Amino acid sequence: MSKIIEDDAPQKVPRREAIRNMVKATLGLTAGIAVVSAGKALAKPGNEQQQTTTLEPLAKQIPQDQLIYRMHRELYKALEKPVAERKWAMVIDTRKCVGCFSCTVGCIAENKLPPGVVYRPVIEEEFGSYPHLARRFLPRPCMHCTNSPCTKVCPVAATYKREDGIVVIDYDKCIGCRYCISACPYGARTFDWGEYHTQGTPNIEKYELVPSFEYGDKRERQKKQSPINNTRKCHFCLHRLNAGMLPMCVTTCMGRATYFGDKSDPESLVFELIGSSNLMRLKEELGTEPNVFYLI
Amino acid sequence: MQKRLYYILLLILTGIGFWFIGQRLMNGMLVTNLTSSFSWGLWVVFYIFFIGLSAGSFLLSTMIYVFKMHALEKIGRLSLLSALFSLVGGLMFVLIDLGHPERFWYTLVHRNFTSVLEWEIHFYLLYIMLVLGELWLVMRDDLSLMATNETGMRGKLGRIFSMGYRTVANPEGRVKQSQFAGRWVRILGILGVPMAIAVHGGTGSIFAVQIAKPALNSAIIPIIFIVSALVSGAALITFLYAFFGKQDKDKPNVIASLTNLLVLFIGIDLLLVAAEFLIGLYGGIPDDVHSLKEILTGSYGLVFWIGQIGLAVVIPILLIFLARKTDGDYRLQGLAGLSTVLGIIAVRINLVMPAYITPPLHGLDKAFVDSRLLYSYFPSTNEIFSSVGIIAFVILMFSVAWEWLPILERNNHPNQGRRSNDYGINPKGTTHKA
Repeated sequence: MSKIIEDDAPQKVPRREAIRNMVKATLGLTAGIAVVSAGKALAKPGNEQQQTTTLEPLAKQIPQDQLIYRMHRELYKALEKPVAERKWAMVIDTRKCVGCFSCTVGCIAENKLPPGVVYRPVIEEEFGSYPHLARRFLPRPCMHCTNSPCTKVCPVAATYKREDGIVVIDYDKCIGCRYCISACPYGARTFDWGEYHTQGTPNIEKYELVPSFEYGDKRERQKKQSPINNTRKCHFCLHRLNAGMLPMCVTTCMGRATYFGDKSDPESLVFELIGSSNLMRLKEELGTEPNVFYLI
Repeated sequence: MQKRLYYILLLILTGIGFWFIGQRLMNGMLVTNLTSSFSWGLWVVFYIFFIGLSAGSFLLSTMIYVFKMHALEKIGRLSLLSALFSLVGGLMFVLIDLGHPERFWYTLVHRNFTSVLEWEIHFYLLYIMLVLGELWLVMRDDLSLMATNETGMRGKLGRIFSMGYRTVANPEGRVKQSQFAGRWVRILGILGVPMAIAVHGGTGSIFAVQIAKPALNSAIIPIIFIVSALVSGAALITFLYAFFGKQDKDKPNVIASLTNLLVLFIGIDLLLVAAEFLIGLYGGIPDDVHSLKEILTGSYGLVFWIGQIGLAVVIPILLIFLARKTDGDYRLQGLAGLSTVLGIIAVRINLVMPAYITPPLHGLDKAFVDSRLLYSYFPSTNEIFSSVGIIAFVILMFSVAWEWLPILERNNHPNQGRRSNDYGINPKGTTHKA
């Protein structure tokens, strides 16, 4: 991680100092209420006022936040290459995930997911017992496996692996046999049962009928028409990628725990992170070779 | 009167079922109780049940037309006919199980050669043509007779189904024709053996190739599918022949052969199931053990002990054993057959459903809660009634075909090709002791 911080040289601030500054800034803003909590609580209100003015702008104090710009730059770089040379991958740092579910919600909002359809749930796990307890949050998007068991079984080749590694579904081809759902070892595929949140109320609310832009198609979700009665899954927000935007879950992650990029680019952030020793993939023993990595 | 009641009942059930199927087609998969985690349910259970029934019946017919088990000759056409209609039933179930049934033909246009399901659909189509061809060849002489000798509806049917074929009058020509038919029935039968095994072994492989389901991902699953197909096929024919077959001097032999086969198949099936359970439980892979325990003592326990063991193993063997003392009355054997057929439904339930009760990742079941993401399932009203409807429809079609086509009666002219080849076997002799 230190390498990443160094990368953002212009904003380089020693971490300890930055934290100290932040603590003091907080103290200043809450003016006198939290005098005792800073540990060395000898400072007088007047002094604090003085220190607040010396604070640098916030963005420069959280070097981690620069990662989003870096990923963005790398995304642009990758988009300049031909599709076949991009290899999209996602790295999720479970130590930084706080379990806020903003990725799950962001994904639902972006793709206008109906009830019963979810692309990125977050698994909550608890370890140990009191007083030594730990919780872990494990977001689970589609793994976009290199040896994907789901694409193998599709009888109509409606789901397939793109050259850039994304496993997609052709909604107009899918016959809805649900074989792929059954064959996915990660439970990453869900079926669109044609349900609405406001079903059974006088009318189905407008927000459920707005078109989604998955795969770059403008699709209104209407009765009997795809994607209803189709399988649906995470597609790394392909439509956003093509427009030069990061996947929604990466953008909304408030702990900056989800990284995304082109793993075939040796200078990319994901390439760097995939080289960590604390790297893990889910169900490695099945040989599916997921393209979603976890840092634990 | 009884017959009329029977048909009325079947028509009513079919009607109700088709109304529910209409609902299903209008409203989509919404009408089912399936979830994204429990993605296959009752319709898939019946789909594999009927495909199994079809493959089993067909393999039974090859024992006559290929392996020359003459004791069973009487039930040759019956087993081909039930192979045909069972397959139609199975395909109807798989059709209504599709989210977009109107796109079923995509499977023939957009190919994916690594998909077992894709291969299976091709096998089903080839197989259905093969069964039709074989059925026509074994019946064509009788159909020709119907066309020439009978009037009214039967004559008309004979003219349609004989497709212009007429048995020639002179004896030499007749022998030639019957030799031709016999040869082709044999060739189709020989082709049909690997085909039927591919049809049902392949159906088993659809389930077995999923690395995501440790309870199914085992090489024994396709074999269990084939053996239980043989069980159900033999059982169905035993039931039909015991109750509705003509009482004549061949009947004791046929019934004895059938019940012997049935008991043999049940025995092998039981052995395979025991292997599956013992290896699975000993191995201790958590997902697998969870499913197996759920079958033995959990929510599928009743289905297992009453259906799979009671109806499909204990009761038929007991009935067949008891029936040895009764002579000239085959109701007990018939009941044994019926009980086995019903028990095989339980076998199919336990082959499909328990694999879906375990979340693929620990904690995934609680990660995002929705009624369509549950790991439990009970069929909805629509699923149940549409299944009843399809079953009634298949039985109805089968009964009509049985009534109007020359299935059981055989006219006394040398219409069976293999008769003219003398292999030194007395075709009228018993191959099994009664």
